[in-house]
Amino acid sequence: MYKVILIDDEPLARQLVHSLLQPYKEVTIVAECSDGFEGFKAIQEHQPDLIFLDVQMPRVNGFEMLELLDNPPSVIFTTAFDEYALKAFEAHAVDYLLKPLTRERFDKAVQKWLQQAAAKQQPQVQNLLQEKVYDGYQHRIVVKDNGMIRIIPAQDIHYIEASDDYIKIFTKNGSFLKKSTLSQVEQSLDPKQFVRVHRSYLIPVGQLQRIEPYEKDSHIALLHCGAKVTVSKNGMAKLKTLLGW
Amino acid sequence: MRSFINHIEWLLLVVFLVTGVAFAAVLQYYLNDWSLIVTDAVVSAVVTAAGVWGGILIVKAYPTRVGILIYSLLAGIAVGVVVWYADKTFLKWWLGTDKDYITWLHASLLPRLVLAILINCWLITLAATGQRAFALEEQFKNLSDVATLHREAELFKLRQQLQPHFLYNSLNSISALILIQPDKAQEMIGKLSDFLRNSVKREARDYIPVDEELEYIEAYLAIEAVRFGDRLEVLYNKHFTDDSSIPPFLLQPILENAIKFGLYGRTGHVRIEMDIALKKAYLIIIITNPFDAQNRPPSGTGFGLEGIQRRLYLLYGRTDLLETKQEEDFFTAILKIPQNNV
Repeated sequence: MYKVILIDDEPLARQLVHSLLQPYKEVTIVAECSDGFEGFKAIQEHQPDLIFLDVQMPRVNGFEMLELLDNPPSVIFTTAFDEYALKAFEAHAVDYLLKPLTRERFDKAVQKWLQQAAAKQQPQVQNLLQEKVYDGYQHRIVVKDNGMIRIIPAQDIHYIEASDDYIKIFTKNGSFLKKSTLSQVEQSLDPKQFVRVHRSYLIPVGQLQRIEPYEKDSHIALLHCGAKVTVSKNGMAKLKTLLGW
Repeated sequence: MRSFINHIEWLLLVVFLVTGVAFAAVLQYYLNDWSLIVTDAVVSAVVTAAGVWGGILIVKAYPTRVGILIYSLLAGIAVGVVVWYADKTFLKWWLGTDKDYITWLHASLLPRLVLAILINCWLITLAATGQRAFALEEQFKNLSDVATLHREAELFKLRQQLQPHFLYNSLNSISALILIQPDKAQEMIGKLSDFLRNSVKREARDYIPVDEELEYIEAYLAIEAVRFGDRLEVLYNKHFTDDSSIPPFLLQPILENAIKFGLYGRTGHVRIEMDIALKKAYLIIIITNPFDAQNRPPSGTGFGLEGIQRRLYLLYGRTDLLETKQEEDFFTAILKIPQNNV
């Protein structure tokens, strides 16, 4: 028996998937959730084999939710999202279904998944998150904090530091770790507001208080929060173009 | 033509030189004393230039654009007479010792008067037409800005309506309803059709009755209410007369915002309140929706309401017609539409 969770903020959309899943006796719906936050909790609790996931949802959206999962289940996206984004995750999810859903297309997706599941292939959803799937920039970062989900608005970020496989986000409420790379975060945030001043540092321009020369070819930036970060030669050039010095 | 007025010092210099040279050229036929010729020419030229300057200032200070041509013509005649009189008096006083000159001066008074009036009338009306052309150009530019913006808003609307999210999600809901509640599915199709028909048939009018705009918005909100089940509740409070009007496409973006932040951005029950009342010369529309402070967009995006602010400015030349408030978990937009029929 396969466990399935439906995550969509529209009750009717969930009902439709529910009805379409009826003929499949080998699956059972263990939970229905109306946002990414609930979805995250339900996935941790039930460890489902497959989720049907909408992208645009309140609080925590579909992508953000996937980012937070250490071991994401197979995903079939159900969304009215534009094709631009679809292209990005086409290759990675089991399948994606465009709303309005049709029985034919739905069955195809489920069959595909059943085959994969029988062959014990785990599609790599994680890869999807390496790509920029959003149109436009993000104004927040979602992190896991003691098993809880925390949403950090971009304007609360003091600076972000790379540390091995993680990034460390410094805010006025302390620092948070997230499994990600600095380049990924750099891509998702507005480049007019966030500058990669160093291999290991991404800072919001608004945090910049003073820049002092340091060693040969490098500078030290003093931030409003009191922290000091190294600015590389390259980073200095970026700052100069951005601020028009 | 602003440059014409702005470079008044150059104009005056040209007036001075041209009149000076012209006077000197004419005078040398009648007078044989060069000091007399030069003095008369310089004095006349200075007085004429001063007169033109004064005339242009008068035209510039004229409060309205209506009838400015007649006004400037009259001003030109008046200034011409003053210039002529000042010229005559000054020359008499300055060169009064020369009897022959005074006799000649008296003989030349009539042509001088005619000349002064002609020069002043010509230059002052020229300045006036320049200014009028400039004002018209401004007005024209403003109008075409309004038209462009209106078109943009319409195109945006069209894109929005024919655009995936809303339509596809609604169709998806209908699909679900067909399986579980066929009656409701039919109802939903009706609402969706109303909405689409309304958005397609709307012409580009400057003002439409509030009722018409509301019908459209109610259809939109009704569809959202079906999609989100019991979560959405909309309260209307209407106190306006049948002849109340509103520019089209103005209310919708505000409601879309309310839906986006109130419904898409949150979980649980959502109540959107819409209060429309006619107060004195204004139609006052207050829209309140809950929103999640955590989900707020970064400051500066202004909830996408800048477009409305700009349209209001272009339509009414005022920036105080849209007001927004954020109180804890509520967002309020207050829109004031001047009613010229009241």
